[in-house]
Amino acid sequence: MATHQEITDSLKAFAEGYNSNKRLQTMNRDWNRVIQVLTTDIESAHTLELKDGELRFWEGAADKPDLTVLADSETLADMFYGDITPTEPYMNGTLKIMGSEDDIVRLDFISLLIWGE
Amino acid sequence: MKRVVSVSLGSSLRDHRVRVNLLGEEFEISRQGTDGDIDRALALLEELDGSVDAIGLGGIDVYLYAGKTRYTVKDGLRLLEAVKKTPVVDGSGLKDTLERQTVYYLREHSNLIPPGSRVLMVSAVDRFGMAEAFVELDCDVTYGDLIFTAGIPYPIKTLAELEEIARKTLPEMVKLPFHMLYPTGKKQDTRDDVKVKKFGYYYREAQVLAGDFHLVKRYMPDDLSGQTVITNTTTQDDIAFLRQCGAGTLVTTTPELEGRSFGTNVMEAVLVAITGKGWQDITAGEYLKLLELLDFRPRIVELN
Repeated sequence: MATHQEITDSLKAFAEGYNSNKRLQTMNRDWNRVIQVLTTDIESAHTLELKDGELRFWEGAADKPDLTVLADSETLADMFYGDITPTEPYMNGTLKIMGSEDDIVRLDFISLLIWGE
Repeated sequence: MKRVVSVSLGSSLRDHRVRVNLLGEEFEISRQGTDGDIDRALALLEELDGSVDAIGLGGIDVYLYAGKTRYTVKDGLRLLEAVKKTPVVDGSGLKDTLERQTVYYLREHSNLIPPGSRVLMVSAVDRFGMAEAFVELDCDVTYGDLIFTAGIPYPIKTLAELEEIARKTLPEMVKLPFHMLYPTGKKQDTRDDVKVKKFGYYYREAQVLAGDFHLVKRYMPDDLSGQTVITNTTTQDDIAFLRQCGAGTLVTTTPELEGRSFGTNVMEAVLVAITGKGWQDITAGEYLKLLELLDFRPRIVELN
């Protein structure tokens, strides 16, 4: 089980990985989305906001998320640190993503491009 | 008579059956769509296994290529492995030879793709041979893989970048349900109006639109200006649609059989049935020789 702080740190690494990648920022200039990250096993909520190609995040839930990412704390921390890809937990049901299918595919691509760079 | 059946994840509205004579032998070639239902496709494959001469898998790829690397689509492999006795193909073997040859043929025998032509390939990882051929012939190619599959408005401009992005994303993306990456079933009968509006620009800018017809069609705007479309499976309705959208010329890489061109999976299955060999045993050279014997040439249709 990961702690709230570990998830925060993993999201920090994820956001840094994203924001230091100019190509990813270019790719996502058109994609303004609020993504809520919730855990199933501990009290923890975070919000990611993609706006004009920039990614920022904060602790706490979102008012009107476009996407909600839901998993146990360990999976979330591993995924945002890039230790595991989102595909496997998504396919086996450990990770649930609520939102449009187009947005889910796009988020998957972004995660793969961040940690593959 | 030899029987070749294409089992497709695509719409059953496109089902078709023809009888043709090829190299002195009678063939019944049919296509059966399963409307995106993978379980129905599996059941049909099991039913046909052992009772027909070759099977093509349509509406899905088993193998995608970027450079020398091959990526296996999980759902496609499930279908492939359901067939134990009859030779089964997905068209990727033929794509690499026939579609590459089509581009060379058009350069030599038409003025449709002069050097510097602006080509939009809606997706290249399913037609890497064609993508390479356009580059070899000095075309200005835009690969729309990220644009149309992921909705990311990022035109890939080189094969090297395509390979690099494929290396980072495809090993995982191929594990997703195929319908998340490609229009299957009823989606094949409709256009994605949001993406047409958002990405129609790439179509209008291009002189040549190339790639899988279901992708070409799904994102095609109404106001083309005489573009050439190089694709595979088209019906009479598709030709009418292209005409209505303002496309100038249609080139199909597979020949016309009774008014329509079948998918590369079907034609590859036909070639496999002719040779009587397993697809793993057929070389690109043998495919080329057979294509020459059959006098298969691209079909060119002037639309407007």
